[in-house]
Amino acid sequence: MDNKQIQTYSLGFIGITLFTFALTQLPESIHIFQSDRAVMFALLLTIIMVMLNEVKQARISSDSIFLRTIPGLKAVEEAVGRSTEMGRPILYVPGIMDMNEVETVAGVIILGHVAQMTAQYETSLDVPVARSIVMQAARESCKEAYLTQGRPEMFNEDMVHYITDDQFAYAAGVNGIMQRDKPAACMYMGKFYAESLLFAETGNSIGAIQIAGTASQAQIPFFVTACDYTLMGEEYFAASAYLSRKPELIAGVKTQDMVKLMLISFIGVALLSRALSDLGLTSFNLLTLLGL
Amino acid sequence: MFLKRYIPIGIVAFFGSLTLFGWFIDNESIEAFVNDDATQWYDIIASFAIFLGALNLLKLQFLKVIKKQQGWQYSVVAIVSFFFAFTIGFFMKGAFFVGEDVYFTQKAAEQAIAVSGSSEVMIPVEWGAHISAEGGLFKWMFDSIFTPLSATMFALLAFYVASASYRAFRVRNFEATLLLLAGIIIMLGRVPVGSLITPWMVMYLLVFVGAIFMSTYFRDRKIIFGSFVLGLLGVTLLGINMDWNPTQPAIFFLPSLQEWIYTVPNLAGARAIMIGIGLGIIVTSLRYIFGLEKSYIGDQ
Amino acid sequence: MKFLEDMILKFGSVDRRFIFLLIGLAVFIPLLRPIDLPIRTTPTTEKVYNAIDAIPANSKVLMSFDYGPSTKPEIHPMTLGVMRQLLRKDHQIYITCLWPDGLYMALDALDEINKEFDLVEYEDYVLLGFRPGNEAIVKGLASDLRKVYTVDAKGVMLADIPMMDGVNNLKDFQFIFTGSAGYPGTFEWVQYGGDPTGVPLSSGTTSIQVNEVMPYVQSGQVRGILAGMPGAAEYEKLIGTPGIAIQGMAAQSFAHLVIVLFIVLGNLAYFITERRERKY
Repeated sequence: MDNKQIQTYSLGFIGITLFTFALTQLPESIHIFQSDRAVMFALLLTIIMVMLNEVKQARISSDSIFLRTIPGLKAVEEAVGRSTEMGRPILYVPGIMDMNEVETVAGVIILGHVAQMTAQYETSLDVPVARSIVMQAARESCKEAYLTQGRPEMFNEDMVHYITDDQFAYAAGVNGIMQRDKPAACMYMGKFYAESLLFAETGNSIGAIQIAGTASQAQIPFFVTACDYTLMGEEYFAASAYLSRKPELIAGVKTQDMVKLMLISFIGVALLSRALSDLGLTSFNLLTLLGL
Repeated sequence: MFLKRYIPIGIVAFFGSLTLFGWFIDNESIEAFVNDDATQWYDIIASFAIFLGALNLLKLQFLKVIKKQQGWQYSVVAIVSFFFAFTIGFFMKGAFFVGEDVYFTQKAAEQAIAVSGSSEVMIPVEWGAHISAEGGLFKWMFDSIFTPLSATMFALLAFYVASASYRAFRVRNFEATLLLLAGIIIMLGRVPVGSLITPWMVMYLLVFVGAIFMSTYFRDRKIIFGSFVLGLLGVTLLGINMDWNPTQPAIFFLPSLQEWIYTVPNLAGARAIMIGIGLGIIVTSLRYIFGLEKSYIGDQ
Repeated sequence: MKFLEDMILKFGSVDRRFIFLLIGLAVFIPLLRPIDLPIRTTPTTEKVYNAIDAIPANSKVLMSFDYGPSTKPEIHPMTLGVMRQLLRKDHQIYITCLWPDGLYMALDALDEINKEFDLVEYEDYVLLGFRPGNEAIVKGLASDLRKVYTVDAKGVMLADIPMMDGVNNLKDFQFIFTGSAGYPGTFEWVQYGGDPTGVPLSSGTTSIQVNEVMPYVQSGQVRGILAGMPGAAEYEKLIGTPGIAIQGMAAQSFAHLVIVLFIVLGNLAYFITERRERKY
């Protein structure tokens, strides 16, 4: 972070604080702001400010943004290549939740990238889904991917197909597909619950290369245990930026890190403030002051 | 292009911003929209979309049967099950009450009245209530088919957890050893059998693990062996001194130890992952709202 | 020694079906011949017990059945236990379900409890039933219950149920308990139910979910948690009514022991293989 950036963020933060404060002081007749949520509001505006600024910077030059290697994403191409060599399909599971879940949206986005690769390598792709809306979105994503790769004839609507909404019936259906079709690669990208281990262990038993990506905290250990590669939490959300290499998306990843840095500093200051308050050295506590 | 690109992006930007900033606005209509209407709209759309899914499911299963593809027999089961559930949900409700007794069909109920010659009147269950009424076909399907099948799938986890942990927990390096040890402590400490394992057994185990840890850093076998023996001796002497108390020292008592691992290091890590995931969700959502990410509508 | 090593190597490379068989036996035998094992209560379970114990007598408590038959063995003993504790103090129970199959779980629980308490519908409990909408339902209950439910599970108008008098939103309840197996469940109740209304909330979840819910327990947003089957067993011990969860503890203990045994054997085999490979 250079001096100019620090200056921009400092000024921006002061502006946001003043704006939020002004909103809390509006006269009764036009007061529509939830004052008790002022801190959250300021934090949200700060994140937006950082993101927009980073996007602007990245559009000018994205060379300076370093994106560390994520083995799981590098392995995606390897998995597609392996499937091609073995002449077996790729199984892609976009989670069991609907499109109102950000993780499912991220899963559909990654599917688009995977579909581009399968179009290039002429490998068959099988996407069983648990929700009808996800089916429509995933189809659209795959169709565009095959079109952009100049292989529209390879796209078949039924490569994305619906099984059922029920969690374990869906798990049984997907496991059945695995046992019958023996895909060379299985990818699980989305929101998962208890079925995660059922998928991963069945995939393991058929010798498929397995890549998982999820922000479902409770399922991460299962995927780590049974899959070859796992994209954990943030890595999963960064996948789209990593695969597309679009500057504005990479800027989003940098935004996450910047906000994380701010939060760590805030936690440090809050801890110190609490300690000083508890020791009786100061009469105030930052957290109480901010109403948190 | 306009219909397939700009309108969806516009809808996401408008409703996304409204839902996001609506949380900070003290207005009843906006609050009602954010809290109730928006989610219910989505549910209504999703409910109608189920027809698309059902048709797709039937199409593929019928094709499989017609083409006699591998495993087509299962497709027959799927099709029959589909129509069975559909019929008992919408056309046949079952649950015909005759006094205390309940019958699946009207005919059976009438026959029962005729045979017993009683003055009881047959009362059919109301539509809607038939899915939860005892003696209803839907309830029967739920109890006799759906419940055992769901329970079976979930129960498979017990077996898969065993095989996955057996494969994954290997003492490859220090971190893996730590994971293994924490896993074992949690597994045993969470169940009653854990409290039967005395702290002394745990201490002996720790001495053993300590020796393994040392072996990754020291090459000299004499040092490792010496430390190992000293450790064993130390634990034994302490045990004699404390009369081999079954719950002391508490720090090595599995239930207490697992409680600490669970609520301190584990939760610290969980919180960190949670914050990271939360940030990921916030930034990803903002990317959609600001139209920076358009891949969800197929834009590569 | 070589024979022993070879045996360990053999065990270390067993087919996973052999592990499945042993796990099956470890679960099955203790279920057939129950063994008494000491149950120690943990602070999180005690918190739930104390929180429910502290509700003033004759209060209104909302219970949500947010699980299905797959997780019934884990969560059902918890909801049964909580109902028992509530009914002993003459609390009135209002039952909602965020999961469609939760309705069947609630019916089953009421059947079971009816054997002990001789329940009177609309005096001791109201089964409001399932409504689709996930978190929207919790939000709706928090703002206006009667907008979400106009009739109960049997189709009786809420206006005709005396027990519903004065119950208009979540704030009219003294306590909320959710038996939750995933989405929608504990998180939705915390975010849209307990937190905004300030009504104390407790939860019983599957073991795997505990890790995610614990931060809310530590922050006090959730008053304790019943963590999987061990949590249910501890709760049964606290209310003094041993049930299926306590019976299941022996099976779970032995299953865990078998897993640990295989991990140890697997590691020994790994060591021997490593050493032999280094040698040659």
